Amino acid sequence: MRKLPTIRLGFDRFSAIYLWIAFLIIFGILSPHIFLTSSTLHLVASEQAVSGIMAIAILIPITCGQFDLSIGANANLTGIVAVVVQINWHWSAGLAVLLGIAVGALIGIVNGFLVVKIKINSFIATLAMGSILSAFVVIVTNSNQPPPVTSTAWNDLSQISVGGYQIVVVYLLVLGLLTWWLLDYTPLGRYFYAIGGNAESARLAGVRVGRWTWTSLIISGAIAGFAGILYTSLSGPSLTFGSTLLLPAFAAAFLGSTQLQPGKFNIWGTLIAIYVLATGVEGLQLVSGQQWLGDMFNGVALIVAVGLAVARGGSVRAATRHRGFLRRRGQGGVVAGEEPGSGDSDSAGQLRADGEGALPTGDQSSGQATAEAGH
Amino acid sequence: MSVLDIEDLSKSFVGTKALSSFSLSLSAGEIHALVGANGSGKSTLIKVLSGFHVPDSGRVHVDGHALTFGAAESAYKLGCRFVHQDLALIDTVSVVDNLHLSTQFPTRMLTIRPRNLRDSAAALLDQIGLSHIDPRQPVGQLSAAERTGVAVARALQPDEQNPPKVLVLDEPTATLPIEEIDHLLAILTTAADRGLAVLYVTHHLDEVHRIGHSVTILRDGQSVARAPTADISRDTLVSLLGGAENAESEPEVLQPARRAHDASLMVDDLWEGPIRGISLTATGGEIIGVAGLTGSGRERLLGAIFGAYTRSRGTVTVGGTPIPAGRPDAAIAAGAAYLPADRKSSGGIMSLSADDNLVIGDLRPFWSRLFLRKSAVARESRVWFERLDVRPRSGGRQQLQTFSGGNQQKILLAKWLRLNPQVLLLDEPTQGVDVRAKADIHHHILEAARNRALVLVSSTDIDELLLLCSRVVVVRQGHIRDELSGARLTESEVTRSFMSEITTLAAGDGTAS
Repeated sequence: MRKLPTIRLGFDRFSAIYLWIAFLIIFGILSPHIFLTSSTLHLVASEQAVSGIMAIAILIPITCGQFDLSIGANANLTGIVAVVVQINWHWSAGLAVLLGIAVGALIGIVNGFLVVKIKINSFIATLAMGSILSAFVVIVTNSNQPPPVTSTAWNDLSQISVGGYQIVVVYLLVLGLLTWWLLDYTPLGRYFYAIGGNAESARLAGVRVGRWTWTSLIISGAIAGFAGILYTSLSGPSLTFGSTLLLPAFAAAFLGSTQLQPGKFNIWGTLIAIYVLATGVEGLQLVSGQQWLGDMFNGVALIVAVGLAVARGGSVRAATRHRGFLRRRGQGGVVAGEEPGSGDSDSAGQLRADGEGALPTGDQSSGQATAEAGH
Repeated sequence: MSVLDIEDLSKSFVGTKALSSFSLSLSAGEIHALVGANGSGKSTLIKVLSGFHVPDSGRVHVDGHALTFGAAESAYKLGCRFVHQDLALIDTVSVVDNLHLSTQFPTRMLTIRPRNLRDSAAALLDQIGLSHIDPRQPVGQLSAAERTGVAVARALQPDEQNPPKVLVLDEPTATLPIEEIDHLLAILTTAADRGLAVLYVTHHLDEVHRIGHSVTILRDGQSVARAPTADISRDTLVSLLGGAENAESEPEVLQPARRAHDASLMVDDLWEGPIRGISLTATGGEIIGVAGLTGSGRERLLGAIFGAYTRSRGTVTVGGTPIPAGRPDAAIAAGAAYLPADRKSSGGIMSLSADDNLVIGDLRPFWSRLFLRKSAVARESRVWFERLDVRPRSGGRQQLQTFSGGNQQKILLAKWLRLNPQVLLLDEPTQGVDVRAKADIHHHILEAARNRALVLVSSTDIDELLLLCSRVVVVRQGHIRDELSGARLTESEVTRSFMSEITTLAAGDGTAS
């Protein structure tokens, strides 16, 4: 990462950047007066900052081989809770932010408990948790959208301008740097990647798999909580925004894993992917005026990204591919297991469990894309 | 008229001849036993027959038709059926469904017809004398012998175009409790009586005489003897297997060694899976070999000591520190290290770089002022690459999977040597490794012992054990049954020891308590 490859065009690891340039050229030609303006740049930058933070929330447990699908509902709930305590109980903005992050972390703790202690596949545990959290949104608000908070402190939290950009962009950059540090320059990051690469090997090397897996889910929950607060501060409270944030974040993490350090989930690839996808969506909507393009584009991008990641291999492949499936395909007809006694270890079992989670991701995204296309 | 004709089959892998000019013919209704030590070429032969390996030379005919090598369909079409050791049954699914998964379900308008299904399953089971099994039961609820029976029934599924003619079984009794073996042998006799030729691969010499009509003994890829079982005594079999003419010694049970306080490893009454109460005490500086057949518990012993598998009973103490069950991190902290037999699934993290694998055990030396120093990691990795002669030297940042088997194994060994362990548990340390890397790895194992580490080497390669170890413990049926050292530490003694079995159940009960 530090050593950006020198002269080679490196189409394999920089394809998203080429794609980005292509978007800029195409949409710049089609819609020069709107698309290529600094206001569009500022708008896209800050609109997508929350998505970027959500992508970080999803990225961290993914390096550890765990999916956190509850981050959308998590962000939604924390955002709403932060508003409600300010409106109803007159909490200060600062306290509300702290409470929101704490709620997010608490959700991560519960997710971790389900995954590590009860041993529920993270895909299922966090999907269910997402549904439970959506119910909490209704309980907390009684289905009435709370009025926006009007205090300056709350609005400044996300909207104060720094060099023409809203401050959320700065938050994203700072979080990105912190994540870079965490994943690439701390022992914890090594443990995350080791667990994501092969949990059983990591366990046998003395890595505390349960503890660090749990940690990754808590970090994810806290970051999602923060993202929810920022979204609410930026765009006002909404009862349904969470689900729209999940998919682009997912797509970005997978598309990001094909960039810069192919085969490895990585922070800068993920953030680049967020902005490439956003540019594509923004440009298409500007040119065509169709609102459904966003969902369609993100859904298709997720499928393409996962397809590319799987084809490319590396740890991403371990996290997404059904190993048992590969093994079965390799065998001929009636001839049963070719290697007598080569039992699958627990780790293979675990990876397979995750793999089963990963493949439906594509299905779900396309399902969601088509389901929401009608809106 | 013979059904299966194998002529002059040879197959070599890098450096070793796995099969050399092997010939065999089987007639209908014959049960032919094939015995041989680990690595004698039995599994290579089966893999050639089942279309997995392509032999270097030779021919195989089934009922006069030539077998196309490397094609599983060809073996199937000619009527060859295989039951592999792991059976490939799905435990949670019913017997009926398991029987039909590899063929087709009888359907009408896309709907399964349950009555036809059950009838055909019942007929299949009946054919091999398992009519008492309820085909609706999940396979997981059956006894081990019944499960093997279901696998046999599935293999013998009638197929009008390609009727089964030859049944090959690969060590079907390896993991079977002793009391269930009779049952399976009866199933096979029933199958042979219906006109099948049965090739029966086994480690258990008792079975040779119980069901085999004739026997072939394989050693180093060559058939060293072939005879009707009536003409060959058990003692002759044993000596032919081991390669020397010697009488069989009575199995004995070793007393647990007395507790010694300076012992670097104390294992007391360890139970885990197939391991049924193993005790072992050893001090640093020694290399102890662990021998035994697969299924005896040998293959899980080191993992159970380390905590890779959670033991159900017993205590393990490393350097005076008791190790909680199933806690590799605690074992490592106490000074133990464990190299699993399977590099891919549990030894290394193939998708990460060699450096990452090398340093994962202890990252503290590289962590300074809030950053993990990559240059320090690279320096450390260069030192170990140099020391163990890992190639390519500069490949530290490449993924582990890009290295050859021997270099992968060296990197994983270095990962542990770095931590300077007191107790090194090495499971098949040179499996799938070329000759040169093997010598390097052996050198470093000896070096570790010279530096006062205790090394336990579990291996199916007897030469390796003889080369490295001062004593070898032999595991049979979950117990340490023998300990060989000094003049008794020879290839034939070791082979004889782990091939010999408890002849009566009473003896087994007496030692298990």
